[in-house]
Amino acid sequence: MIASVLNQISLFFIPGIITVIIFFGIYKKAPIYDLFIDGAKDGLKTAIDILPFIIAIFVGIEALVSSGAMEFLERVLGPVFQLLRIPKELISMILLRPVSGSGSLALVEKIVTEYGPDSYVGRAASVMVGSCETIFYVLAVYFGVTAVKNIRHAFSAGIIGYIVGIFASLIVCMYI
Amino acid sequence: MMNYIWAGMLVFGIVFAVINGRLNEFSDGLMVSCTNGVYFVIGLAGIMAVWSGIMNIAKETGLIDLVAVKTKPLINFLFPKGLKKDTIAMILMSFTANVFGAGNSATVFSLRAMEMLDEENNRRTSASNEMCMFIAVNMSMIQLVPITVIKIRSEAGSVSAGSIIIPSIVAGLISMAASIFVCKLYERKRI
Repeated sequence: MIASVLNQISLFFIPGIITVIIFFGIYKKAPIYDLFIDGAKDGLKTAIDILPFIIAIFVGIEALVSSGAMEFLERVLGPVFQLLRIPKELISMILLRPVSGSGSLALVEKIVTEYGPDSYVGRAASVMVGSCETIFYVLAVYFGVTAVKNIRHAFSAGIIGYIVGIFASLIVCMYI
Repeated sequence: MMNYIWAGMLVFGIVFAVINGRLNEFSDGLMVSCTNGVYFVIGLAGIMAVWSGIMNIAKETGLIDLVAVKTKPLINFLFPKGLKKDTIAMILMSFTANVFGAGNSATVFSLRAMEMLDEENNRRTSASNEMCMFIAVNMSMIQLVPITVIKIRSEAGSVSAGSIIIPSIVAGLISMAASIFVCKLYERKRI
């Protein structure tokens, strides 16, 4: 019930915004076509600007995944996660989520088919993807369009937010 | 910072590819992933052009100023130093697009917002408080309906695929509060 209502709202988001902006433009008698073209040019420039950063981060992540370095990290960190009473089925999820969006989605798919979507593990994995971001990817790409070299506390804010989000997911799924 | 992280990723990867005897998968993976990166940006470029065009209309017609004035309290809490109206509007668009799960559109607004924040920072090499706060909130922004996950769950035969919505929002809000708190702490330390 809630799901379908919220889904409807989300569906109307993009058409809604465009309608409001276009009608406001018509109401103001603005040359909306020319304005659109001007803005679109800028947008394409940004797309070219981010290309090298996207390629770099895609390659870097692939290097970790295809070489088996991620699996090694899972094995090394296994005991630590066990100490924190985190189910071992979720370890790879927690490690992959900050670096790869598509990778973590594939992993959720695997976890929910293997352990059941309504099991604790299945729910926790789903909530993690729903509430935690691909922080390393975001940091690399977002700062990529800027002149920034020293990202200051953006890094710690991201990491701490992520860790808190993971624990929040684990705990919330026990009660709700 | 990125120099070390990226070098680390590659060196770590190469070492493990050798140890695990996966050199073949490693090189194949690199070639496929760089192509995927290009495809991804091509997909993004169209969306980027459309939204930048639409937002330019909103900016030139003055709609953005209207929105920026209405949302001042929220923006003032996150960015006490004050920002240009265009920047505020782009930040708001980025947040709302995230909330409504408009994936690639959200990325576009965020990147444009970062460019504007960069300009307000006079393209300095050290990130401004505003940039850090924007990224921190953006990274932990909740999504009203994590539609992809819900789809995956219902395909796996879940009896209540949407039951993760409320937990996701709760966990997301807790994570967001933590990120904002960390930023506020650092900002205070600086002054």
